[in-house]
Amino acid sequence: MYNKEFQTIFTYAKDKTDETEILLSAGNSFSVKINKQNVESFNYSDSKGIGVRVIKNGKVGYAYTEKFDEETFKNIVDEAIENAEYTEDDDVVIMEKYPENTDSPNVYSKELDKVDVLEKIQLAKDLEKYAKETDKRVFNVPFAVFGDGKSYSRVANSKGLDREDTQNYAYAYVGALSEEKDDKRMGIEFHITRNFGEFNAKKMAEESVKKSTDLLNSKPAETGKSAVVFNNEMMAAMLATFSGIFNAKSVQEGRSLLKGKIGQKIANNKVTIIDDGLHPDGFSTSAFDNEGYPTERTVLIENGVLKTYLHNTITARKDGVKSTGNGSRGYKGTLNISTSNFLIEAGEHKEADLFTKHDKIIEIVSLQGMHSGANPISGDFSLGAQGFLWENGKRQHSLKPFTVSGNFLQMLSGVEAIADNFKFDMSSNGAPSILINELNISG
Amino acid sequence: MLNRNIIEKVIDKALSNGADFAELFVESTFNSSIAFNDNKTKQNIVGNDYGAGVRVFYGHTAIYAYTNDLSEEALLTAADAVSKAARGGNIIASIDLTKKEITNIHPIEIPNNKIAKKDKIDLIRKINEASRGYSDQISQVDIRFIEKNQHVMIANSEGLLVEDDRNYSRVYVSSIASNGTEKQVGGEGPGRFAGYEFFKTIDPVKLGKDTARVAVTMLNADYAPSGKFPVVIDNGFGGVIFHEACGHSLETTAVAKGASVFAGKMGEQIAYKGLTAIDDGTMPNEWGSENIDDEGMETQKTVLIENGILKSYMVDKMGSLKTGYARTGSGRRQSYKFAPTSRMRNTYIANGNDKFDDMIASIDEGIYAAKMGGGSVSPGTGNFNFAVGEGYIIRNGKIAEPVRGATLIGNGADALLKISMISNNMEMAQGMCGSSSGSIPTNVGQPAIKIDEIIVGGRN
Repeated sequence: MYNKEFQTIFTYAKDKTDETEILLSAGNSFSVKINKQNVESFNYSDSKGIGVRVIKNGKVGYAYTEKFDEETFKNIVDEAIENAEYTEDDDVVIMEKYPENTDSPNVYSKELDKVDVLEKIQLAKDLEKYAKETDKRVFNVPFAVFGDGKSYSRVANSKGLDREDTQNYAYAYVGALSEEKDDKRMGIEFHITRNFGEFNAKKMAEESVKKSTDLLNSKPAETGKSAVVFNNEMMAAMLATFSGIFNAKSVQEGRSLLKGKIGQKIANNKVTIIDDGLHPDGFSTSAFDNEGYPTERTVLIENGVLKTYLHNTITARKDGVKSTGNGSRGYKGTLNISTSNFLIEAGEHKEADLFTKHDKIIEIVSLQGMHSGANPISGDFSLGAQGFLWENGKRQHSLKPFTVSGNFLQMLSGVEAIADNFKFDMSSNGAPSILINELNISG
Repeated sequence: MLNRNIIEKVIDKALSNGADFAELFVESTFNSSIAFNDNKTKQNIVGNDYGAGVRVFYGHTAIYAYTNDLSEEALLTAADAVSKAARGGNIIASIDLTKKEITNIHPIEIPNNKIAKKDKIDLIRKINEASRGYSDQISQVDIRFIEKNQHVMIANSEGLLVEDDRNYSRVYVSSIASNGTEKQVGGEGPGRFAGYEFFKTIDPVKLGKDTARVAVTMLNADYAPSGKFPVVIDNGFGGVIFHEACGHSLETTAVAKGASVFAGKMGEQIAYKGLTAIDDGTMPNEWGSENIDDEGMETQKTVLIENGILKSYMVDKMGSLKTGYARTGSGRRQSYKFAPTSRMRNTYIANGNDKFDDMIASIDEGIYAAKMGGGSVSPGTGNFNFAVGEGYIIRNGKIAEPVRGATLIGNGADALLKISMISNNMEMAQGMCGSSSGSIPTNVGQPAIKIDEIIVGGRN
């Protein structure tokens, strides 16, 4: 798709730039939100944008537009060339026709595109209805949402590379607020899929209510050090928050804790961390990255040892290694590095076994303040948390909101046991529940 | 931006299935960003955001569609889609738009595009050099130079047709200090709803040094203690506490659903009696200011809490329909990709009568938060958290050694009542606030305040 647009830009840029890359994203989306069994909001979108990255005299410049006409396309080429003039970066940037992944997983479902809008609305209504019916203590269901979308992306460069990809997805989430004796708690349950039949509104609603009501009747947490279990969703959230330490650009610019640590043991033996751009269950799966480079399964930490960083072609060239296919940019942005499907591998323990390893364990099922209370540069974190006190393998009671603090690398070294309940979150970060020997709790 | 005839056709089409209200929002925005680190200008990007959103109301249901295609055909298709999402009984005759002229209360002196990129990079270099010159421990300085010019046009079925230009200028500086094994960061991001003249008011040396000083101080600090303590939160970005702990819960988006701890409390004492809090879009050229909101209403100064009594929510059009409270010019959105909802502008706690020194002197053991980081809140429960960017121990009524890594948590309704002293050094600081209508510029602000007891999550 969009052959005419690509042709116009390449033709105009041909004699003006040394190399040109074009990135296009287009897509449509739908979402519906229910409140008191009425549609509170309906959103449709149909949008597109195109960005160019040019090399001129060894320097790189960028420009983009959402306005699609010939004059604007010419303008962005000229603007990108002007931007290149003021760039002082001396990284070597070379565009190539990279090899193609031939057996990548399917990321598009024709069936999903055919689901009737009324079915989608009914699903969101059911989420709210069941959440209200499940428990008397539920006084509000502020979120009962269904959404879906389809996205198309294409990247091509003047060396003859040309890749395109169409994906779709559907998601739903429900948030229940319950209250007992002035204790108010929120529970959120989500699901993302390409198979509409997978949505079970009743099960999702019940789960969100359970997450909320389990936290009621809380007692204060004791301030001090404690063994901690992060459940699978919160372990994935922690992993995502600190994913930047694996970014080779951050390492090269002196912004990562992992600088100079390749080949060193930085985590407990049990820990294996992987970025898998081709994971069949992830929603960040694509055969190529935003440079058009083929994606792959990259083992970052294997049995506690740091194996590699995540690279695009520029950082890889600097380090004398191959790109890991994590080159990342949107049409409005500049080239960086990001994770795809990013995960800690599951262990062998049943989740319940984790709680038998210490007399007292705090289980964390909710975290707040990931964007402010976690310092991705130092690895230090101090976060608002919700959870439970376990004693001698039994869940005793929920805790009033408390804080948990520590350092991410120390936490990876302090891993004592890993459960087998691996789960991906909505953003394709995945983890099982994990027991950490000791963190600081303040309540 | 668009021919009036087309606008009228689009709104007529959006109303054609009996909707109560229809609105068209059109935007063309110029964005420019310079990213500097490693002592070099690393990445330059400019671009044009361009699109339109059509919104209709059927009762309390809002339907929104957006597109980048501003041709008559594409806009009519979008209007047709939203009109058919529901059915209403309203018959509104063809609308007749009247262009509304607005007074620009935030004039621009120097349009950003009149200044050469080289001058901008020279300013960046001065900041970089000042930070690096502060200490050998500064290992990296990241600077982003952000300029945005947003042109909007808003028309609706009430006959409104209005246009506005919005200029934003901001520089964000982040200095990293390292001692070989550990790293700490100090950041500041001054910005204004203004043109390039704002950058001329910045002292680049001070900005560079200040961020470096925080990073180095925190690098050489021990971890904060854990437990419940009295806390003094200083002015400027300290206002993030009010923003998170209370501001979001005063937006009608949360109030209308009953998903706010402040729902149903109008006229009641919800805070310390010395506390007055204001959300003001009219402050000249401030980061969160506007001439009109994204529903085309003129912005205003809204007193939220006066002497501890709840006086007003922040109300957008749909929020007004749902709650019955009058609109406060608070309908805002990041871009045409979002339907507007009730949001904050420049939100601050007004000056009180206490002296900063008396606040510190009143505490035997506690925390002084000189600079805050960001935070977040769950409006349904009121539980908030925020990070201390630059913290110190208060011991025996005096500010003592620096401490790092502290997060403060609490409950909004509860924390407001635990404020016991308010100083007179009100200052504002700039932030980007994320919520359901996207990420928008907002100011937070306050004088120094004392909270009698709050949970501090440290490591000692």
